[in-house]
Amino acid sequence: MKKDVSKGFVNVVFIVLGMLTFLTMTVGPAAAKDKIRIGCAIALSGMNAVPARVSQVTEYKLWAEQTNAKGGVYVKKYGKKLAVELVFYDDNSNIETCTKMVEKLIVQEKVDLMLPPWGTAFNFAVAPLVSKYGYIMIGSTVSSAKWKELSVKAPYLFIILNQPQKQGKAVTELLQDVGVKSVAIVYVADLFGLEHSGVVAPLIGQTSIEIAMLKSYPLGADDLSPLIKRIMAKKVDAVLAYSYPDSTFLLTKQMIALNYSPNLLFFGVGQHYPDYRESFGSKTVEGIMGLGAWNPKVPASGARDFFNAYVKRWGKEPPRWGEASSFAACQIMEQAILKAGTLDQKKLRQVIASETFPTVIGQVKFVEGTNPNYPGDVGQWQSGEYEIVAPKIKRTAEPIYPKPKWPSRK
Amino acid sequence: MKLFLDIIISGLIQGAIYGLIAVGLNLQYGVARVLNVAHGEFVMVGAFATYIMYTVFGINPLLSVAFFSPVSLIAGFLIYKNLFQFIRTSSETAEMFEGNSMLASFGLLYVIQNLALIWWGTSTKAYSYLSFSVGFLGVAFEANRVAALFVGVAVMISFYLFLRYSILGKAIRAAAESPVSAQLSGIDVHRVLGICFGLGVMLACVAGGLVSMMKEITANMGFPYLVTALIVLVLGGLGNIVGSFLGGLIIGLVTAAVMYWQPELSLVASYLIFTIVLLIRPQGIFVRQTNGR
Amino acid sequence: MEGKHSPVNKLFFICFAWLVAATLPFYSPAYVLLSITSILMYVTLTVSWTIFCGPTGYISLATATFFGIGIYCAALLGSSLPAPAVVLCGGLAGLAFGVLVGLICLRLSGFYFAVFTFGLSELVRHSVLWWEHNVSGTVGRWVTGTSITQAFYSLLVIASLSILAAYLIRRSIYGMALKAIGESEEAAEHAGINVVVYRIAFFAISSFFMGMAGAAMAAKFTYIDPNSAFNPLISFTPVLMSLFGGIERDYGPILGAFILTFISEVLLSRFPYFYTLIYGIIFVVVILFMPRGLAGLLGSGHQHKFMDH
Repeated sequence: MKKDVSKGFVNVVFIVLGMLTFLTMTVGPAAAKDKIRIGCAIALSGMNAVPARVSQVTEYKLWAEQTNAKGGVYVKKYGKKLAVELVFYDDNSNIETCTKMVEKLIVQEKVDLMLPPWGTAFNFAVAPLVSKYGYIMIGSTVSSAKWKELSVKAPYLFIILNQPQKQGKAVTELLQDVGVKSVAIVYVADLFGLEHSGVVAPLIGQTSIEIAMLKSYPLGADDLSPLIKRIMAKKVDAVLAYSYPDSTFLLTKQMIALNYSPNLLFFGVGQHYPDYRESFGSKTVEGIMGLGAWNPKVPASGARDFFNAYVKRWGKEPPRWGEASSFAACQIMEQAILKAGTLDQKKLRQVIASETFPTVIGQVKFVEGTNPNYPGDVGQWQSGEYEIVAPKIKRTAEPIYPKPKWPSRK
Repeated sequence: MKLFLDIIISGLIQGAIYGLIAVGLNLQYGVARVLNVAHGEFVMVGAFATYIMYTVFGINPLLSVAFFSPVSLIAGFLIYKNLFQFIRTSSETAEMFEGNSMLASFGLLYVIQNLALIWWGTSTKAYSYLSFSVGFLGVAFEANRVAALFVGVAVMISFYLFLRYSILGKAIRAAAESPVSAQLSGIDVHRVLGICFGLGVMLACVAGGLVSMMKEITANMGFPYLVTALIVLVLGGLGNIVGSFLGGLIIGLVTAAVMYWQPELSLVASYLIFTIVLLIRPQGIFVRQTNGR
Repeated sequence: MEGKHSPVNKLFFICFAWLVAATLPFYSPAYVLLSITSILMYVTLTVSWTIFCGPTGYISLATATFFGIGIYCAALLGSSLPAPAVVLCGGLAGLAFGVLVGLICLRLSGFYFAVFTFGLSELVRHSVLWWEHNVSGTVGRWVTGTSITQAFYSLLVIASLSILAAYLIRRSIYGMALKAIGESEEAAEHAGINVVVYRIAFFAISSFFMGMAGAAMAAKFTYIDPNSAFNPLISFTPVLMSLFGGIERDYGPILGAFILTFISEVLLSRFPYFYTLIYGIIFVVVILFMPRGLAGLLGSGHQHKFMDH
């Protein structure tokens, strides 16, 4: 009996040694530089797979295909155009796996550039790491005031998305502008809801608008009608819901069914999906507002082209917020390489930190690592397009207020 | 009073869904001894199927739920026959079978999730059916949720009657008590267990169809339902079908009540109730302390 | 017995493997170290899970809780204490909480134990979320980062300790007692085994290692929030890994953790779009053809009962 045990044990040792050898084998980059390899460890499976794929993966792929179609990016140092190659790793929606995969992309795949993972928490976890290795990273799905603490730890992180502070101000101004008297604020109990409501509530508090309700609800709630009924009882003009896609859909559905149509209805994430408009119909979503906005009408070169190319490539419209900035992040990297004439990260960082870049979300000039000039802070569905209604100077359409009542049912 | 009624009805609606899913899991684990962690994924499959039938073919969701029931029953039966029965015969002990079948169902979970992502992609979709409110004693409820409650309760009652009075139902109960003595009395145990597994899948798909009327549909919607079902299953007691349904209603009611009072704590509350109940009654609420399972 | 695979030989193998591992940072490329670190983390979790759950057969799904507590310990203390002290604190916090959970779960066994521990860990996750939100006024926290080498060494030590502990416990009278408890608590009680003390003590010991692993691994997270620190999937991982490796042998859980972590890493990087699909198929195939886990296949056709050496 003992002998068998030992035999198994020896087998184990061999297996382990075999695996170690496999691990040490590298795919190693080719000797002559003929392409730019860009690494991205992102949630392709697990809980974040859906938003990660829709908000980043599709945009990156589109950019890579477009760039390669015109022969690649010209790099002066090599005196020729280099094709780009995206190297995607799956992080299985797990932060520990994500940091491991990012480090692996850098030390094993030896990629030339890095693209960020999905979501604020993942970006924050990865940012110090990529900065340690001196890689630039332009986050397009990061929304948190905490980036200030981060800029010390991660000087190589740039955030292209608009941030809670500015958006809160835009929302407040919009409420005043259209003449809202009272508001109910509900938010998902997560970093996102917490930060946004934490910014917007004090700002509204300084105005004459009354906050009739300020409540959070848990992630993954199956029935929000109790919350809606409480809001209904308050008889407010406006409802601000800092929600994630699941609760955005659920709240909309339940509000329609309960026939509650406030004068102003505002959601966090999800209302900017074309899927949202298609699920409920253009007529129903008419007048619904939401955080962040981009649309093909913004004054930016190539915005319409990006929109059309996206529809052509993926068979559906791009969502109307950070998705365009994921594409813009790629454009910035491309232009930075052209300007710097090298793939050296230090030089690229200098260029990105100081220059202005024309992109599909307009002129981007990073100030202290963030982009202060986002094309839209609040959007509103109007006749099937997600129009920008705040800040005032960037409007692509005047806001509709009050929101039309829900259309009568068949 | 109105508030009370509101909480009760909303709680029952959500609870009926949880109950259906938990009863399905109870059949799979309580009788067939397969801890099917892919159970939530069948909820998703049911929701997808109903959504497609409604949006593409314009078929009434309640009708397609009725249509998909036998289909999913057969699908579940085949999964059992081709996968779990094999594992059952190759396992040496009951514990080994439980462990291995759980591992295999994890495999199933991964496979279904990935296929859903490939096929369904990144879409988040919803559709509107019975999207208006009905008044009841002065309180408004969403018609589609009320319909879901009626269907859920109807399915449960007919299911209960089936288990209690039909020959197959009696065979299932016999197999639940003891597979060995069931075999001795001439019951084809594998067939019965396969049917149990199939019925579990069917109930998950039915629940999925009902869920699709009430909320959005995505490729990763399934797992939270498994978690709730596990908790409800233990709350109601293993092997106790009625207990599982009642357990679902309890969780639904607690969640709804806390949602009124302090929405943020509604999920914490259901876990807290679960913890406290098990501390007081380690075998679940509805199981008499006689059998030592 | 005197064959070439005598216990002395085996010991030699172990020492050799350990030496190879301990000197790894000096000659191996950084990414191998990276993979091994993560493998060591799962080895620790799986082996420590097996300390209690292997012999008793009680499936604990609270691993995420102890792991997460270790991580939060590191987040709170990381900047003020040296690394080994942080790891030790993480372990002690895990131990303390393990005693508490062990006490709460005393009356439960079998499936009820499994789901209860899972519910408890979800309760902890939501409570920490609520606490962070309402009391600390934040959701995420920074953890002081460390180098790969440092994380590797701390995990190597923790993993070795947990393997040693598992080995010794299994061969001692305590291991027998745990097994007796798993078979029938009443019978064990009659045989003079103090079931209460055993259940709590060994559950807490396994929690101790999980807490240490969390504290050591926190540095790799750099930024944590309750959802990532108490990731419910972490609770299932050790169960899968030890069953996959085969719970009947000492090296089964180690092998399971090693191979599954390795497979996932290869799949995540080489087949990123089909990771879960292939992973799932591997599971099903392994179960169908190796019902006793990998160790069952590697050993021989003998009918080994658990503990039979």
